[in-house]
Amino acid sequence: MREEVDIVTPVERAIARLSATGVDFFDVFSSCSRSLKTKVMGRGIVDVNSIIDVGVGVRVFKDKGMGSASSQSLDLSDIEETVKKAVAYANVAQPDPYFKGMPTPSRAPKVTDLCDDEVKNLNPLDVGKLTKKMIEATREVRQGAMMSGGVDTSRFKTYLVTSTGVDIEDQRTMVGAFLSVTYKEGEDVGSSSEFEYGISVPEIDFAKIGKKAARKAVEQFGSKKVESATLPLVIAPDPASTLLFGLAGAISGEAAVKGRTFASGLLGKQISQDFLTVVDDGTIPGAVGSDTYDGEGIPTRRLTILDRGVLREFLHNSYSAGIAGVKTNAHAQRGGYGISVGAGPTNLLVRPGDCSKDEMIADTRRGVLVTGAMLYPNPVTGEFSSTLDEGFLIENGEKGHPVKNLMAGGHLLELYRGVDMISKEGRTYGRGHFVPYVRVSGVRLSGN
Amino acid sequence: MISPLTLITGNSRAERARLRDLLHSIVQRGLEQGSSFCEARFFENRGNSVVIENGVAKALGSRISRGVGVRVIFGRRWGFASTNVPSRASTETALDDAVSAARSIANSGTEEAQVITPMPETGTVVHDVKTPPDAVSPEQKVKQILDMEKTAKSFDERVKDTFVNYRDSWTKVAVCNSFGTSVEEVTPRTYVYCRVISKEGANMQTAVEYSGGVEGYELIERAQSEELPRKTANKAVKLLSARSPPRGTHTVIVDQRVGGLFMHEAFGHNSEADAVLGGQSIIADKMGQKIASELVTIVDDPTVPGNGSYTYDHEGVMAEPHTIVKEGVLVGFLHSLESAAKLRARPQGSARAQSHQYPPIIRMSNTYLAPGPMTLDEILRDTKTGLYLTGSHSGYVETQKGRFTCRVEQGWLIENGNLTEHLRDVSFSGLTLDALKNISAVGKDLRIDAPGTCGKDDQSISTDAGAPHFRIDGIVVGGRT
Repeated sequence: MREEVDIVTPVERAIARLSATGVDFFDVFSSCSRSLKTKVMGRGIVDVNSIIDVGVGVRVFKDKGMGSASSQSLDLSDIEETVKKAVAYANVAQPDPYFKGMPTPSRAPKVTDLCDDEVKNLNPLDVGKLTKKMIEATREVRQGAMMSGGVDTSRFKTYLVTSTGVDIEDQRTMVGAFLSVTYKEGEDVGSSSEFEYGISVPEIDFAKIGKKAARKAVEQFGSKKVESATLPLVIAPDPASTLLFGLAGAISGEAAVKGRTFASGLLGKQISQDFLTVVDDGTIPGAVGSDTYDGEGIPTRRLTILDRGVLREFLHNSYSAGIAGVKTNAHAQRGGYGISVGAGPTNLLVRPGDCSKDEMIADTRRGVLVTGAMLYPNPVTGEFSSTLDEGFLIENGEKGHPVKNLMAGGHLLELYRGVDMISKEGRTYGRGHFVPYVRVSGVRLSGN
Repeated sequence: MISPLTLITGNSRAERARLRDLLHSIVQRGLEQGSSFCEARFFENRGNSVVIENGVAKALGSRISRGVGVRVIFGRRWGFASTNVPSRASTETALDDAVSAARSIANSGTEEAQVITPMPETGTVVHDVKTPPDAVSPEQKVKQILDMEKTAKSFDERVKDTFVNYRDSWTKVAVCNSFGTSVEEVTPRTYVYCRVISKEGANMQTAVEYSGGVEGYELIERAQSEELPRKTANKAVKLLSARSPPRGTHTVIVDQRVGGLFMHEAFGHNSEADAVLGGQSIIADKMGQKIASELVTIVDDPTVPGNGSYTYDHEGVMAEPHTIVKEGVLVGFLHSLESAAKLRARPQGSARAQSHQYPPIIRMSNTYLAPGPMTLDEILRDTKTGLYLTGSHSGYVETQKGRFTCRVEQGWLIENGNLTEHLRDVSFSGLTLDALKNISAVGKDLRIDAPGTCGKDDQSISTDAGAPHFRIDGIVVGGRT
């Protein structure tokens, strides 16, 4: 096993220097990640990359102005320079009237199963074997796949200390696999992709990813253009999750509370029918979006954000909570050892409905089953105009041919208002997020 | 004036020699361990940023990124590893990791790694600028950028929020490889981004303008003289009275930024030879064939001024202009040392890496559609009905399917050759080869002016793109009406 990188001592050095500068608030965050990544291109693995990334980020507040600096080097001289620069910049920055200070420490029971020892000890050979499983499984569906993708295994150590007493060390692991598969029949192309991610290796079925990507690719042969129309969409979990994250982004942090998103004025309002409930839960053991503490050291929790169609919560960090005049609800997110502290969801879970996906399709006389699309809106206006990257025409309650060159347009809130069915089955991502199939009525589609 | 070399670590003569020695010794050690190819690449980036929001310089930042990436071909397989610590011991460990990574896929049954033998390059390039950003104090930067923000804020009472983000950086890349290449390049970049949110009743809109490139602080003076903040505010306010586009299939005329986005996203990624080799490009088997209207000539050129400019790529190959499509015929792909070997082409310097933490991969630089004979007025007069689209937001492509989506900032209806209704939140999508064949008019007003970053394989890289105004028939446009 490799020698451990010490990420604690550099933070202590930084704090010692910062404590003597007379600034009002500071935080120091260090991290070390080790990643092994395979890259698949064409018919197999083309390379294996071993990456170590260490760094430290310092944020300093003086008279409500922020200076920050980050360094990928943990050498004492670089730490000194980083601290010096952050302090100098804080002295030039101007008071941000919305800054109210940093949170004080609070303790919470540890959220378990976020770090897997097997991942910590993987070597390039192991990761190559996992990747090979994924590649070989495509051949069970059909020979001749051209592929792109890979497997990424990472372990992270982080250390956060603030001038208000927060002092948290954390470790976690992450495994991700993605495979895009393309087959050709003359000029016709069948192409699709599949992915999975989690904390540990056993929770990912690498062969299933390969098989599923290949099956989905074959299904795309013979795609046809369709006419412009206004139709219901049956949206599969992958594209439906973009609807969910589109809303989550608009109710998160500073932009939401400063009136800069389409959802800024919606707190307490009914935005969809009463059978749509969405929970955000950062405390699920073994889930990718979980953590004991958020990016500012606040214990994570379970929150119902959309309660029977009513928007109940914004997702706050301490900055946005200060503006809203409420307590933070532990959604601060830190972008590595860089200096950004934003806000966003942890694990999003949609409450399942009571019909099956097949019943939903059977109930649709004419529509589109959307299996691939990014339905993210303009976060300010809520308008979206997106290509349905993968989908199938539904005719007389049956799944028909794949479609191509079809776009959907409208407002995200129209889609939420238009949800008229939710399936009982769905997809769980990384043991956290749960997204069912949803049917949305009356979506404007642009085609031929 | 401060010399750029003093701003980057290891730029005294002795320190540069020490760095070169370190990289050479790693390459030599790689060969001694049995690698058939070895490359050691030092990377350093130092940068500063200022964030202005509604009249307050609320955050100033600084960052340092530094390290060495080592790449080998060992046992006919690629291996890559990196370290943030550019010491001999740590770099030697990275070499060992790279060799061990290559060993781990020795029996994976995949295609063998190979590289073409390039002409060895030696040299040092420092891109001088008029005003190095580090010669300007943080206080002065804050003052000038606040002035810009104030112009946007005071434009109209419907301006709700104004933001100006500024950043500058110096990047040094030094590449040594086992072919005898030993090059260094120091590149400054400056970037300014202005965003305005406008509001009237419940209607809220947003607009952005930006400028950036291989330039110094003089960029800020240029942005001010070009009235970047006023243009942003004007656009945000005008968008309040724009409407959603008519959905369906339309003839579209695109401006230089939308055209650049199309050339980069819809077409450019298909010309990257790693996509060609990996079966991910729809033009893989079309070399020498007509794939576009004869009005279409597409070039990727790292040697013209732009945000994607450089002298050496990150494999140490001297950059040259690459013509990809000439008068509608596919004539070239973008190459790395590996793809050039496999496709028997001459590398022209298209491999770059985000940092030492990533291996070089094939990337576009400044990608553009070459100018044609017409003025915008002539193209408009020649267009009975359609949409005129301006200002790029973002785009993506599925190269293997040959499908693209471009999101643009605004547009206008064209009726009898005249611009009529103002449109917002416009996206268009299509099939790349159909769209290229349907380009029916090309303007003479080429501008390369879409500085930004392009993401591929988890790596972001500085690029630019452009075009003259041009017209495409039969494009699907998304909308609400």
